[in-house]
Amino acid sequence: MTDQLGALTTIFTEFYYWVTVVLMFLIHVGFCMYEVGASRYKHHQHTLMKNTMLIPLVTVTWFFFGWWIYWAFPTGPGIAPSIMTESTALITDDSTFSAKWYLANSEFMAINLGDHISGVFWAAFLLFSWTAASIVSGAIIERITTFAFGILAIAIGSVFWTIDAAWGWHFDGWMLKILGYHDAYASGVIHAIAGGFALGVLVVLGPRIGKFSSSGEPRNIGPRNPWLVTVGLFLIYTGFWGFYAACNIPIFDLGPEYGMEGVTYWTATNIYVTPTTLSGITFNFLMSLSGGLLAGYVVAKGDPFWTYSSGLAGVICASAGNDLYHPIQAMIIGMIGVVIAYKLHYWVERKFKIDDAVGAVAVHGYAGFVGLVICGFVLNGYPSSGYSVGAMWDGSTYASINPLGQFLGAIIMFGVLGMLPGYIIAKVLSGMGKLRIPREVEIAGLDYEMMEEAKKDEKAVSSATR
Amino acid sequence: MATVTNWIDHLSAKEVVGAVYPGAGSTETLLVILGIVIWIGWHVITNKSESEELSRLAKKRHGANDHKDNITDW
Repeated sequence: MTDQLGALTTIFTEFYYWVTVVLMFLIHVGFCMYEVGASRYKHHQHTLMKNTMLIPLVTVTWFFFGWWIYWAFPTGPGIAPSIMTESTALITDDSTFSAKWYLANSEFMAINLGDHISGVFWAAFLLFSWTAASIVSGAIIERITTFAFGILAIAIGSVFWTIDAAWGWHFDGWMLKILGYHDAYASGVIHAIAGGFALGVLVVLGPRIGKFSSSGEPRNIGPRNPWLVTVGLFLIYTGFWGFYAACNIPIFDLGPEYGMEGVTYWTATNIYVTPTTLSGITFNFLMSLSGGLLAGYVVAKGDPFWTYSSGLAGVICASAGNDLYHPIQAMIIGMIGVVIAYKLHYWVERKFKIDDAVGAVAVHGYAGFVGLVICGFVLNGYPSSGYSVGAMWDGSTYASINPLGQFLGAIIMFGVLGMLPGYIIAKVLSGMGKLRIPREVEIAGLDYEMMEEAKKDEKAVSSATR
Repeated sequence: MATVTNWIDHLSAKEVVGAVYPGAGSTETLLVILGIVIWIGWHVITNKSESEELSRLAKKRHGANDHKDNITDW
């Protein structure tokens, strides 16, 4: 870098993303605390390690192929032409934003003096990947093998969510062009897909022993450590701030980007390179969080577990359009999402005997799905991109945001890329006898041997004289 | 192996080469293969140990509350 202003812009952007990554780490700390707090004592350590080990597994696979998928798949392939290559093939040519630069053996996937952004941008997306896998982790505690969870975590964290991000969370994604899809802060691309994936796995995995009575009535297996759950959820809220910031491009000149001659317009943008402000989305983050908490407190009759989760669900529901909503719209949308997610959780639990241990399918999946649909109505007619405006199904231009496109997008996220792969992979693992721990182990507790060893050590130490 | 041996020479070159890690331009693919072997190997090793642990524990048929005898006081 030889000019100071350019260097400042670059280094600011590099530092900006780096800070969001550190903040987002708190999401994972929160998820770990939340899961351990929700699990029973005899499963604590395995529950913690299961969620912890997704960090290295998703990270290395995100390095090997996840990041490449994001840059290669915006066209489908074969669905809509790229605005860069004008082809519907995978984007692997020599263009600036080609996947070619993000192959694991590329010189840009390392310290490179000519590239200050790839690493921090890679890491910001990676933290989203951890979140997607961690959402699944909570739903299936106390009865899945660590091996099976590792495979599922890689599938959602480094394959399916990155495909959906390429399709619907990329400035060149085919879902923007064909459907007018809009999902600024990931109601669908992270939350609906992860919730749907978890549901697909749960259908195959089955409930925890004792969750349902012989007559099929569900029993509450509440959090064993409400304080750990509380702190965990507060940390997830905190990390979510970083997540929102990470979804933005902090400083960008839209004039030349949109081909407007002589126009200079520096602004923050969302991931689609359309303008928003960090200030504005801060209004909406807090108002949708508040809407979720207000509605959750009422609908769950003050139950702390659901009230906290509802705060999260409120943000998740409003996230699709939080780059453009009025704060009170965000609040109301958050409230609607919470009521629907809460009611749907208990209806699905009773009707289909689904044991979602932490309500992850509801908080992330249903709230995310509903948020996408609502966004289609509230932002109906807004452009999905700044590059062009065109008709739905056209593909060579960008369709405007609309209810049908958002509904179809929600089905793609929750069902096609979420629930279906989750179900199929869980079926394969189950067929191999690798999905669920033996019944005897579930009853005894996954930590039984660890606890036995610790007790032996304690006895030996307490009786020792030298 | 060293890609840079003198920063003054490196940064004053007509075109500064960005990749400065050891083995730049020649070892990346090998490193990726090594990384993938480590990743897959981890699954193989941990799957084996987990299967052994689960089958050992399953044979003992402990009750739902037996773990309470193992809660340590320290």
